[in-house]
Amino acid sequence: MIRREEVAARLTLHAPLAVAVLVSFIRDAVLTTGSAGVTIGLSGGVDSSLAAALAVRALGPERVHGFLLPYRTSSADSLADAQAVVAHLGLAARTIDISPMVDAYFDANEPEAEPGRRGNKMARERMTILFDQAKKLRALVLGTSNKTEILLGYSTVFGDNASSLNPLGDLYKQQVWQLAEHLGLPASVIQKRPSADLWPGQTDEGDLGFEYKVADEVLYLLFDRGLTPAEVVERGYPAAAVSRIVQYEQTFRFKRRLMLIARLSGSAVNLDQEIPRD
Amino acid sequence: MAEESSTLRVGLAQIDSRLGDVEANLARHLSWIEEARQRAVDLLVFPELSLTGYRLLHLTPRVALRPAGSPVLATLATAAGGMSVVVGLVEEDERGVLHNSALLLQDGGPTLVHRKIYLPTYGIFQEERFLGAGRRIGLAQVRGNRTGLLICEDLWHPSLASRLAVAGAKLLVVPSAGPGRIGAGELPESQESWELVTRSTALLNTCWVVYCNRVGWEEGSFYTGGSHVVRPGGELVVRAPILEEHLLVAEIDLRDADRLRFKLPLIDDERFDIEGPA
Repeated sequence: MIRREEVAARLTLHAPLAVAVLVSFIRDAVLTTGSAGVTIGLSGGVDSSLAAALAVRALGPERVHGFLLPYRTSSADSLADAQAVVAHLGLAARTIDISPMVDAYFDANEPEAEPGRRGNKMARERMTILFDQAKKLRALVLGTSNKTEILLGYSTVFGDNASSLNPLGDLYKQQVWQLAEHLGLPASVIQKRPSADLWPGQTDEGDLGFEYKVADEVLYLLFDRGLTPAEVVERGYPAAAVSRIVQYEQTFRFKRRLMLIARLSGSAVNLDQEIPRD
Repeated sequence: MAEESSTLRVGLAQIDSRLGDVEANLARHLSWIEEARQRAVDLLVFPELSLTGYRLLHLTPRVALRPAGSPVLATLATAAGGMSVVVGLVEEDERGVLHNSALLLQDGGPTLVHRKIYLPTYGIFQEERFLGAGRRIGLAQVRGNRTGLLICEDLWHPSLASRLAVAGAKLLVVPSAGPGRIGAGELPESQESWELVTRSTALLNTCWVVYCNRVGWEEGSFYTGGSHVVRPGGELVVRAPILEEHLLVAEIDLRDADRLRFKLPLIDDERFDIEGPA
């Protein structure tokens, strides 16, 4: 039976092969739909940066349309990192400030809304822009949700989880980092703490209450290896984190059946595991 | 009818198919047949369900063919001329049951129809929902050499290959639509598994195995490609690239099976009459 210290190696991919497969996925989807390219929202985070880098490999920079979509409270570092990725990939990217659209709604109608609601609105505002631009450019919207956040349901439904195709949906967060490193993305993008940047100081791991490394390994043991939560805890993972991960997974299952995922592992969400909505 | 010969030029047409578009796939088959002819191929093998694509689900009845009187098959048989050609299709039988079939076309028509016996219905696979299982195995002659035909999952149930070999098959032809999955290795994990199976089959049955797997993407899942030829005894002779369309041509000597069978008489020693366990 698998031991905890073996898990990290099991999550390691052959990076050149993974990149070749994912590049083929993007190219095939664009070709078979007769699209001219892809649109992608660039947050300066590792997920969207990796997706953009894969798309550039698949299609060339001129067919990858990057959009920086900051809100007025978005961190300056996020924007700088996104610009670094744009420069690194040689993209022609556009910046569209979403503050007027988001504020217009809340100021006139819902001035008391808490940050979570405002964050969801921002994610959905970005989605509508990416889909509108895709229409204009005859492009597909490239998704950036990874397997960890899909399984945990850590996303805004019809917001950041909406896409036409998603090359990252069968990659755990660590595998995203691994491929980002392999493709030589800027170090600041890979090393910073992941954040949805929906309000100042937000971090994913702070929101979730556990680290990505733990989440990836626990989810791998539960989903790819078929262990029970009790068997995962027996392997030395903190019981509180395991129980929280299980709870996330069960609560947010309904968010999963919306997207086209690049299957890599033999345990891809929706394809190998058709778990119905609760 | 082609003259007898103990050496054969085998061609593996590792193609992508358009899901549900028989007409487009037929046109592509014709161009690959032409290319194979220019390379003096005796036996050309297309992948499983090459005329229809694999993941048909509820499209299955729309693309089904009755071989007798089918203009599609007549066109293919005419194009094949003196070449033996194996194509994959959804076959409707006399009772209206649909099968995942492979047809060997020779001298203007089908000489062997193999209906896939083991229909995988687990994980990503759903064949039993849509297809009926075949109930018999048969042999054909390719330039005087006894040849058996098995489709994909059939090879994972070793009794079939064993029975064909004992009945005299020196060559097993295996069209496949094997989905890919990757891990830490340079080769996809799916490829490692398949080569373990094809090589074991060639060792335990002292026969040639030619495995033709498709490429391309369907619903977010890719097919590995990696078609290959295995010598009696289990040595991998040649392998097509992963992920790309390719015509792999290899010359095989069927006398290699006879020579090995003298040294390693597994086939002659085989017993199907063992009783028990109680």
